[in-house]
This record gives sequence, C-alpha cells and structure tokens, in this order.
Amino acid sequence: MRDGDALENNPHISRSALEAMHDQVFSWALSRCDFDRAAAEDLMQQAYVELLSGSARFEKRSSLRTFVFAVVQNLARSRFRRLASRLRLVSRYAQEPPAEQMDAGVEESRSEVWRAVHRLPPRQRDVIELVFCRDMTVEEASTVMGVSVGTGRVHYDRAKKTLRNNLRQTVAAPE
Amino acid sequence: MTDSDVNFEKLVACAFERDDRAPDFDQTWRAAESRYTRGRRYRALSGLAATVTAVAILLKVLAPAPTQLPLIEMGELLGTTSWQAPSDVLLPERQIDIYQDLPDLIESTDGTGEALL
Repeated sequence: MRDGDALENNPHISRSALEAMHDQVFSWALSRCDFDRAAAEDLMQQAYVELLSGSARFEKRSSLRTFVFAVVQNLARSRFRRLASRLRLVSRYAQEPPAEQMDAGVEESRSEVWRAVHRLPPRQRDVIELVFCRDMTVEEASTVMGVSVGTGRVHYDRAKKTLRNNLRQTVAAPE
Repeated sequence: MTDSDVNFEKLVACAFERDDRAPDFDQTWRAAESRYTRGRRYRALSGLAATVTAVAILLKVLAPAPTQLPLIEMGELLGTTSWQAPSDVLLPERQIDIYQDLPDLIESTDGTGEALL
C-alpha cells in the first residue's frame, strides 16, 4: 500500500489495491448485471462509493478481493432482486447464443455449456462461476455469496454433478 | 484434481467468457468520488431539514398551553358601564315628537346668506 493511498473511511483499503483488481471486479460486476456494460459500470461506481464512505468496511477478515467481490454481489443482489434479472438472463441467453469470433463448432459447444450453466439454481451457478472463472476457493466463494463454507461446498458439489450430467449428452464433457 | 476435472473446469469457464474489458479505473474512481461527495451533501441537507422539522415539532409540542382567561359575569359588566346613543334624544320617552317638534340642533356655524358654511 502506498503512503497516503489508504481510503479515509476504510484505512485497510488502498486506491492502488483497488486499481490492481479493477478488471477482475468489473468482470464479476458484468456477470452480476446480465452482461449489461452500462449497468456494470454503474454498479462498480456504487461499489466504490460504498468503500469510500465506509458503508462497506474492510476489517481484514478475508482477502480484499473476496471482500470487494462480496460488496459487488450484495449491491447487485439488492439492486436486481426486484427486476428478476435472472429470469431475463436465462431467457436472453437461452435463446440467443453470444456472438463471438470463434468457429461454429466451439461456439455451439459453448452455447450448450452456457445453457447448462444457466439451468443451475442461482447459487450453484454463482459458486461455479467464482471457482471456475474467478479463481476462488470454495471458501472464498462462500464468503462472497454470504453463505457458510459447508453450504458453499454443497452448492459446489451439486452444481458440478448437475453440470456433468447435463453436458454428458450434448458436449463431450469428460467424466 | 485430475485432468478430466481441469478440462471440465476449462470447458465451463470458457462459457462465461465475454467482452469484459473494464472501463478506465481513474474515470470510474472519479465518478464514484463525485457521487460520494454529492451523496454527502444531500445527506447533510436532509439531516438539516430533518433537524429543523424535529425542532419545530418539539417547540410546538413543548410550548405552554394558553392560559384560561377568567370568565366575567354579564351582570357585573353591565353595572360598570353605560352607553347612550346620539339619537336617543329623538326617542318618544324624551317627549319629543319628531314629526311635530323639531329639536334645536346645534349648528356648527352660523348661516351666511343661504349658504351653510
């Protein structure tokens, strides 16, 4: 942490540390916002406001990254609860595979995986995303999700099992 | 973790890949700081307004009740005052028949010619 870099209302957080993880946190925020960039940018600003004001206070009970991910998760959860964002997300991506510059075979396979992921219950999907894509441990993912480690493990194991079963028929998912 | 586990993770992780280029950190940070400052100002003003309202309500509640004025008996009041209308002189009990006897009214000025000054 650079001298004088700590936030006034959050002395254990430095601006430089937040800058270092900005890309990862934005990626998480984007996922929380149904991949709507404008909403994700707004969510990021709001998360930083929470840190600046000390409303979300880091007490070193977890890693800073886990803490900031949890702040984003909580903000997104409260913001989008009423909007039933998950419903929109499922309907959007279940029907419209994402357009990326990949060959047709890979794209088709990815869409199948994506649909399988989105058939998972929300918490199972979250834990899978955090562990598989954000390089978190199940313990860290549980902290971000606000559940006990035991519950997190159960979600993780069930999600993996369900995904394997769902993908076995459509994609060559190794057992 | 076996190779198959690793492959499975990669397969699932790949499905999450999107265009997730983050906006510029400095820009996001400045926007957040500006939002924070605005929020503080708004909260300060809201607090001030709430305080003023609370004080006004307290003053209203705590203000002493108006004292009851003592009641005055009508009979007592009538005994202490008298009043006579200027036109009382024209009443019949004064023995003046206004249709017969015009009372001498005091004129403020003497007549000059036919003009009443």
